Amino acid sequence: MFSVFRDLLRYNVEFLIGVVLVGFITIFACLSFFAPMEPAMVYVVPPDQPPSWQFWFGTNSRGQDMFWQLTDAFWNSLTFGLTVAVISRIISIVIGMMAGYLGGIFDRVFMFFADIFVAIPIFPILILFYFVLRSDLNSFNLALVMACFGWPYDARLIRTVALGLRHREFTRQAVFAGMSPVKIMFEEHLPYVMPIIFSTAMANMIWSIGLEVTLAVLGFTNITIPTVGTTLFWANNHSALIVGIWWWILIPVVLLVMMFIGLFLLAVSMNEYIDPRSRLRRMGA
Amino acid sequence: MRTLTTLAVAAAVAIAGFASGAMAQDDAALAPTMDLPRNETLIINNPEAPASNPDSFNLWVAGSGAANSNGLHQLALDTLWFIDPDAGLDGSLYNQLASEPWQYNADFTEMTVKLREGITWSDGVPFTSADVKYTVDLQASTPGFNWSAPFADAIESVDTPDDYTVHFKLKKPNARFHALFMVRWNAAWIMPKHIFEAQADPKSFNFNPPVGLGPYTLHSYDPNGYWYIWEKRPDWDKTALAIWGEPAPKYIIYQSIPDVDKRLIEMVNGNLDMIHDLSPEGMFNLAKQDENARGWFPGFPYAHPDPTLVMAIFNNQKAPFDDKRVRWALTLMLDPVEMSMASYRGAATLSAIAMPPTGTHTDDYHGPLQQWITDYELDTGKSKIKPYDPTVGTQIANMVRPQFGDAVPTDATMINKSFGYGWWKKDVKAAGELLEAAGFTNQGGKWFKPDGEQFKITINTFTDGVVNRLGTDIAQQWTLAGVETTPVADPVIYGTTLDLGQFDVATAWSIETWGGNPDLSFFLDSWHSDYLSPAGERQTARNWQRYSDPRLDKIIETMRVTEFTDHEANVALGNEFIKLMVDEMPFMPIMSFNVFSAYDTRYWTGFPTAEEKPYANIVNNWSNSKYIFTQLKPAGN
Amino acid sequence: MKAYFLFALKRLLQLFAVCFAGISAAFFISHLSPISPVDSIIGRVSGRSTYSPEAIRALRATMTELFGLDVPLWQQYLNFWGRFVTGDLGPSLLAFPTPALRLVMIALPWTFGLLTATIIINWLIGNILGGLAGYYQNNRFLKAFGIVAIGLQPIPHYIVAFLMVILFGFLWPILPISGGFAMNVRVAWTPEFVLSVLHYALLPALSLVLVGIGTWFLGMRALVSNIVTEDYVTYAELAGVKRPTILFAYVIRNAMIPQLTSLAMTLGLIFSGTIIIEQVFSYPGLGTLLVRAVNEGDTTVVLAVSSIAIIAVATAIFIIDLLHPIFDPRVRVE
Repeated sequence: MFSVFRDLLRYNVEFLIGVVLVGFITIFACLSFFAPMEPAMVYVVPPDQPPSWQFWFGTNSRGQDMFWQLTDAFWNSLTFGLTVAVISRIISIVIGMMAGYLGGIFDRVFMFFADIFVAIPIFPILILFYFVLRSDLNSFNLALVMACFGWPYDARLIRTVALGLRHREFTRQAVFAGMSPVKIMFEEHLPYVMPIIFSTAMANMIWSIGLEVTLAVLGFTNITIPTVGTTLFWANNHSALIVGIWWWILIPVVLLVMMFIGLFLLAVSMNEYIDPRSRLRRMGA
Repeated sequence: MRTLTTLAVAAAVAIAGFASGAMAQDDAALAPTMDLPRNETLIINNPEAPASNPDSFNLWVAGSGAANSNGLHQLALDTLWFIDPDAGLDGSLYNQLASEPWQYNADFTEMTVKLREGITWSDGVPFTSADVKYTVDLQASTPGFNWSAPFADAIESVDTPDDYTVHFKLKKPNARFHALFMVRWNAAWIMPKHIFEAQADPKSFNFNPPVGLGPYTLHSYDPNGYWYIWEKRPDWDKTALAIWGEPAPKYIIYQSIPDVDKRLIEMVNGNLDMIHDLSPEGMFNLAKQDENARGWFPGFPYAHPDPTLVMAIFNNQKAPFDDKRVRWALTLMLDPVEMSMASYRGAATLSAIAMPPTGTHTDDYHGPLQQWITDYELDTGKSKIKPYDPTVGTQIANMVRPQFGDAVPTDATMINKSFGYGWWKKDVKAAGELLEAAGFTNQGGKWFKPDGEQFKITINTFTDGVVNRLGTDIAQQWTLAGVETTPVADPVIYGTTLDLGQFDVATAWSIETWGGNPDLSFFLDSWHSDYLSPAGERQTARNWQRYSDPRLDKIIETMRVTEFTDHEANVALGNEFIKLMVDEMPFMPIMSFNVFSAYDTRYWTGFPTAEEKPYANIVNNWSNSKYIFTQLKPAGN
Repeated sequence: MKAYFLFALKRLLQLFAVCFAGISAAFFISHLSPISPVDSIIGRVSGRSTYSPEAIRALRATMTELFGLDVPLWQQYLNFWGRFVTGDLGPSLLAFPTPALRLVMIALPWTFGLLTATIIINWLIGNILGGLAGYYQNNRFLKAFGIVAIGLQPIPHYIVAFLMVILFGFLWPILPISGGFAMNVRVAWTPEFVLSVLHYALLPALSLVLVGIGTWFLGMRALVSNIVTEDYVTYAELAGVKRPTILFAYVIRNAMIPQLTSLAMTLGLIFSGTIIIEQVFSYPGLGTLLVRAVNEGDTTVVLAVSSIAIIAVATAIFIIDLLHPIFDPRVRVE
């Protein structure tokens, strides 16, 4: 895995740009631990100040220092995206590998469920969950719900790879050697599936963070937790663009796009590395 | 040659005449576009979401999905009386379908109404007392109509001595019975008997096109429910509104624009004449950007103060909010200046008492009570404090002056009317003493309930706008004072959360008044303990705090047998009510609901203003906003 | 042929199964909603006049029975399917007794039109440009397009749409920002109406294209740049086959197949994106109807919209699956 990483850095400029962009945003998000004030607090600095030496990203109409507020927002959004990615990876690996390796009835049942999840429009369902959970819909619960919807495409991809591995020589040898299916799957096959898991994880983060932004902007999340989405929610709530507080919208959007492009480039370059023909299925969804 | 020319011209004229005749005969529905000259059209922003049932106009049926404020209840329907939230065109009471005010008998068990003569429905059928009787009888006898329960509860019988007299017999004495037919936001609208009688099932009837008593009829509408276009009746003078003048616009369009910023954009672009509500920032910006646009006040704070009191409603049926010491402690944890700045950016009108600081109320209540409330003493259990701070208004005025300069009033009376007469002082020490008296303990800066659990509150608030900001700010202030509070943006705060009592504290309102009259029956009658539901069951409007008190019941019962027009007696009852609420603090009064309504004078002038013509409500989903149309003049653009 | 028929039959069964399971899931999820339509209506009614607690209980009982909510959930579920197979999705609860299907049918053409038009534009233009970019790798215009596509396609729909509103509605107000057509145009099949619909669809469609086209462009470019290295392409070039023929007949045709599968897989997500675009532009479609119904607790309408969406997406996937073996002879039934 490490050598793959080194090669990619050396030979793939897209991967390099991706690492730089995502790294930059991650460092920015980590700065939230050094914030001089509680970032969710309102009316702590003079409102509506444009970017300056004192306030690098300006201040918003709620009297928050945008720089520190955004470090926290990006921290929360990143952790959120990562949580969804990790949980949905676990689901998709288990389901994808079992469907691919065991085949038969398992395969059909799992893929049947995957097809249902593909056909159900997720957005209204997330809104319903908001109504059911309300203030209990914190970042983690939302991440859980979204992870339950974020696996089917990737499980299908993993299944395809696992399907191919099943007929490979080394699998047969392992079976003859008496290895248990679980062992074969997770010791022999998993390393081959790793790159695809990495690349789908990046795409999955773009998807989940983007959806969180959309839900938050419409007011369907816990709006007191600073995230990129709730930042935009509050900006709209104060008519920021109309009245010319442009930095309240522009800066988070630029940072968000930087992060998305970074994640996207990582996913694409990794994808090309594993299988030049693989399709960029989930990008930008 | 000349003959030839004459012949040619004659032929051309004939052809043109024939053609235009043919066009005119052509079914109007076939013309692909409709002529809506901008200078004859008034475009109004309907604040509500597009109609759930765009084709239905039967707003009498509960749950029919017919929209009210798409023009239907402003332009087409009518009822007996209207009341103005401000001074009014000619006093705050308007006789609409009734030709004079109500007459009760001595013990308020009967009411007689004289109807206006010469009024016709939009299909030409005369309006008579039979329509009023039909409206009452049908709804009282058939459950499932909007006014079924109130009619059935109150009315013993209704009869019509002649075509223009209606006589009600009531089940019990009620000096406020006429209010069912007196429009503030809306009221019981009169149904066209000749239309509904012909229906096998009046409840599944769409009432499309609507036949009304107002000066406009439905012209066309969006099948998706976003806009409704109304056209002036040729016989508009046969409607009750004609008494106040001819409505000027030939066409009036009500358009749903859910996004607040888009309303501003459309007005700046000249596509909208009246906006229902903006964000404070939007309003400040519109006033700067569009020289034709203005709000209710010519300068800061711009907004129209609705006779509605924004408050923090405690759920009095839920511990520990059933303890008045806790309610008072939470009140004393708040800084009023911060609340005003955080919600309205200073453009709020605060009120420490249970009365909206709007309309005629400040003269009737706030001013006269100022001394009493300044001297008011609160016993915290350890000490006695005077919690009231009469200088809050001045503090806010001074704070916003650097930004808005001359637009901010300097005169003490104007400051009181614009920013409020005062509010409770933030006093965390007194709040702590009250909590300790109630058995709470403070551990490491956090408050714990007598049972040892941490005191945590969820505060339900609106999903956007100033009330949402207020709720979020209150949550922060309480959290900083040691009571961990989470705000929830609640899209169903009315209709579900408040009604079912599924909340600790909510920022909303349970006090709405007439505005132009000191009588409190509009909200207070429903606060009688007869209407109080047990915890967990649905509560009827408007006692959302679920509070009851024998002293309160007595006030309400006295009110029910006091004549509506007895100014002095009603003010005395109001004072009694306010003082009881200060003692008990079952909810925390905060400010009036100031609405950033704006209008653009590019195409129409003559809108109401705070300084010259304070009448009607420019908050245009109120049906009494219809009086505005009679005062408009084309601007000549 | 028989194999294909069997394949189609199997897929058809799968289609029914997916629809059944999906709609059942939607039924139970929508009945999870804590917003009771009965309460919603009582709230509206009693919010404007005073009701005694007894009157409220009576009204609740009437409404519950009227809406068929007075029976246990499993029976509601059976009733639902009983009606569903006859094409009756039940009455809308907030526009009672208007059938929910009628409200859906008013909204459906708008979403269908916007969605179909933008999917076709995105898929065709994205793929063709992507194919060209993969084949003519040094073309400056296509290179620039690639960079723009990378920058645009990860932006959430909401942000793009919102920027469109500000840009073309406020800073440079030249395009309509809300509604489906102009207020002074009658709904009829006239050139005026059609033009007005197109005019009002411009910004929503543009937003969907800006976000959507890049995905196909980038995917196709990656696929084609791999295919051009294959031997058969090199032979064709050496044999003197015209380059456009090679590109369209050999290269793009082969790359289209995975892109078609991709389209089927992402239809559900594209529908979610459209809901948001509709919200921003107050566009009269299924998305707007759905969000409103969810907000107000109108379970039948939520269910009707979800069911129609599930059936539509599943059917589209089904059709694309059926076409698959026709386009790609390599795909053989397992």
